Amino acid sequence: MRILLIGAGKVGRTLAENLINESHDVVIIDRDEEVLRRCEDTLDVMVISGNGANAQTLINAGVDQADILVAATASDEINMLCCLIGKRLGAKYTIARIRDPEYNESQILLQSELGIDMAVNPERATALEISRLLRFPFANNIESFAKGRVEMVEFRASAKDAVTGCRLRDLSTRLPGLPRVLYAAVERDKSVTIPTGDFTIEENDRVYVAADPVTITHFFRYIGRDTHQVKDVMILGGGRISYYLSKMIVPTGMHVSLIEMKPAKAAQLSEELPQVNVLLGDGTNQLLLEQEGLQNMDAFIALCDRDEENLMTGLYASTQGVNKVVVKNNRLNYTDLIPKLGLESVISPRQITSASILRYVRARVNGSGTKVEKLYRLLNGKVEALEFIARKGDPYIGIPLKELNTRANSIVAVIVRRGKVIVPFGNDHIEDGDNVIIITCERGLNDLNEVIRK
Amino acid sequence: MNIKLVARNLGFILLIEAGCMVPSLLIALFHHEGDAPALALAILITAAVGLPLRLFARPQITNLRAREGFVIVGLAWVLMSVFGALPFVFSGFIPNFVDAYFEAVSGFTTTGSTVVTDFERMPMGIAFWRSFTHWIGGMGVLVLMLALLPKLGGRTSYLVKAESPGPSLSKVAPRMTDSAKILYVIYTILSLLMFVVLLLCGLNPFDAAIHTFGTAGTGGFSNYGQSISAFHSPAVEIVISFFMLLFGTNLALYYALFNGRWRDFFKSEELRWYLSINAVAVLLIALMILPEYQWDVGTSLRMALFNVATVSSTTGFANADYTLWPVAARAVLLVLMFCGSCTGSTAGGIKTMRIALMMKQSKREITRTYSPRRINVVRFEGRGVDEQMLHQISIFVFLYVLMMLIGGLLISLEGLYDLETNFTAALTCISNVGPGFGAVGPAGNFAAYGPFAKIVMTMLMLAGRLELFPILVIFHRGVWRRA
Repeated sequence: MRILLIGAGKVGRTLAENLINESHDVVIIDRDEEVLRRCEDTLDVMVISGNGANAQTLINAGVDQADILVAATASDEINMLCCLIGKRLGAKYTIARIRDPEYNESQILLQSELGIDMAVNPERATALEISRLLRFPFANNIESFAKGRVEMVEFRASAKDAVTGCRLRDLSTRLPGLPRVLYAAVERDKSVTIPTGDFTIEENDRVYVAADPVTITHFFRYIGRDTHQVKDVMILGGGRISYYLSKMIVPTGMHVSLIEMKPAKAAQLSEELPQVNVLLGDGTNQLLLEQEGLQNMDAFIALCDRDEENLMTGLYASTQGVNKVVVKNNRLNYTDLIPKLGLESVISPRQITSASILRYVRARVNGSGTKVEKLYRLLNGKVEALEFIARKGDPYIGIPLKELNTRANSIVAVIVRRGKVIVPFGNDHIEDGDNVIIITCERGLNDLNEVIRK
Repeated sequence: MNIKLVARNLGFILLIEAGCMVPSLLIALFHHEGDAPALALAILITAAVGLPLRLFARPQITNLRAREGFVIVGLAWVLMSVFGALPFVFSGFIPNFVDAYFEAVSGFTTTGSTVVTDFERMPMGIAFWRSFTHWIGGMGVLVLMLALLPKLGGRTSYLVKAESPGPSLSKVAPRMTDSAKILYVIYTILSLLMFVVLLLCGLNPFDAAIHTFGTAGTGGFSNYGQSISAFHSPAVEIVISFFMLLFGTNLALYYALFNGRWRDFFKSEELRWYLSINAVAVLLIALMILPEYQWDVGTSLRMALFNVATVSSTTGFANADYTLWPVAARAVLLVLMFCGSCTGSTAGGIKTMRIALMMKQSKREITRTYSPRRINVVRFEGRGVDEQMLHQISIFVFLYVLMMLIGGLLISLEGLYDLETNFTAALTCISNVGPGFGAVGPAGNFAAYGPFAKIVMTMLMLAGRLELFPILVIFHRGVWRRA
């Protein structure tokens, strides 16, 4: 597909890289010649210099042939204008980054009036991601499928976990009460496997398990993880993410302490978030953290502007015995480095934003012909999780899975039938209308018949 | 410097070159003139060197950086010419390797300067290969590689930048591979069109093909010693003049034309400059040479048009010996040798866009001397040009003239000929035109120069075709450091 990207900032660039890897044609529009030159040198894109809200610039960039227009400049207003003009000039779908909370309130009206098909709010999306991590404090990463009925959760196996060191095939006899979950994918030493019955989970593996949310919680409790709900949260930095996050988690009964350095900002937050305990001070001051009871917190979330401060205070918090530490890191260069330091939950707003836009783009690709309902990339894109709907008349319907041939490096992970989640074993079968989730190491599958055959 | 990555890509280029020799071999086999074994051997050797490089050079890091990109392009052109010289040597047609190398470089860089004197003895397979190098070299081998090899990785823009003529890269599609394919398709279509028109003018298919290659690549090799005048056909001269100007234009503009974007084509500022310069030159020369052609306006215009087109498009075909023209007419041609044609064309020279921008910049500097506070952005193609690009262009023009002067100096060290011959030889080489003035004019050739002067000229031709930097980079120590 041809994608027009307006604004080559942090999100724009990350998005462009991902889109090129998925073999889309990308045209970047930006006003800064220097930025464009860098893009042209390092990315296989076409660059156009100019204002993306200018009709002539858009026409030069071939907006009439564009399948998707993404406006990700620094200004919300320009983004909206780009979408409005772009749509009139023939772009099929438009996506705008809109981050100001004030526009958020009238979002539906704005979207329909301006022809914006998707509005992305990076701060809100990031806050949503963090709030999910707080609901499952034992998870490093969570993806939901089938409208949230199925959750896929990533954790790092430790020697204490009951499942470590035992063949998956023998688990049900060794541990009779173990809730039935699917071991979807395992990453060990940077290589990813989709485990079979003979696979043994070892210490330090990154394991993905899938099941419905209740079973997942039971599973982690059974293997000996602390599944206590997070009650006390300390947030560092009073930016927009902190604001959205507080709004999301306070109603669920969590108690939030928020540390902000600037007096005016702190006063404003205190006014806007009456139930939050707003503290004025420097978050890197360990004395302050101790006084406000860091040791007794269930979760510590570092959301300062500077990545380094987030990392350092995050490390400090985890040495002080805080169970769940989430740090914001916007510079992707360090992604491989940080887990080695012992911080598992690292949040990058630009990656979250670009991932949510990518998901939308993929859905449009698949909408034009193929039958994938949803597609997720896990473990840095090494594994794909695909959601299909089984169709009437396909050859695999009604046949037990053990009698079907499954493609190598792929498994049928979960079947959702009339709202019920089934983790399938050999005797289960697929009925028409089932949502079927496939986990695969292969790229580019787009039909359930390619994965399972008679 | 990631040597293995460079080696791997060079291997692929040699394989492409071996493939490009196959049509010549087929022609040689068909005509039985004894050159088939030479071509077959050259193909085998080229492939035998290319294949192991391609298979066994496995770089750990496959990321192409600016330095690898430029070094690949620079070395690729040197290597291609070395292997491209093999058929000439093996067939015994040009037994001296330096001479053969000169001929191959002249072919690939679309210069068209030749050391050949006995055209009647040239076998058809060899003649075909000699001209086919023009066609490949015109658009560029790395562009061909990109068109053939979609999975070369992301940062291929360095390769194309290093190989494509002009200060700015004209990409016609978001993906480099698609862009390369589209440009090659346009190039092929225009070449086929010309081939058909030449057939209609009464040329036999072989001559038509040879002269199509020479024109499309703006090279200028002919299989006749008298070049185009061998046909004694005004129609052929006019057709070739027209196509020389056509291939001297940015090929991306034809893509706009094919897509129905007429306005983009006619609004192109560079094209207007190019056509105006040529029109003025044609009229001036036609006036000056009127007495030479018995005051026959038609013939004078035709002669002027052909020679202006052949020099400004840096092709170098000849229909008359312009060294016999009045000095004023020769002076106009000399100036045109510097200018060359458009960005993104197959031609050489400094390029119209650079000339236009230098003019505008000079005008601005003059304004600035009497009005120091005036802000004056240089505009081109309807938009402001950034200062860094202007700066690069100034440096480019300086280096271009400098290299031409040093080249002329080095050539003169051999002690042959006169200043006019030696310095225009250097100019014609760096501008990829073909003939110069004096003893290297359309009626002469480069055979008499010694090996030293010929090597200097090959460097000038390569530097001119690749627009200096890829060749200069090879000689820069810093680029070869491990990191």
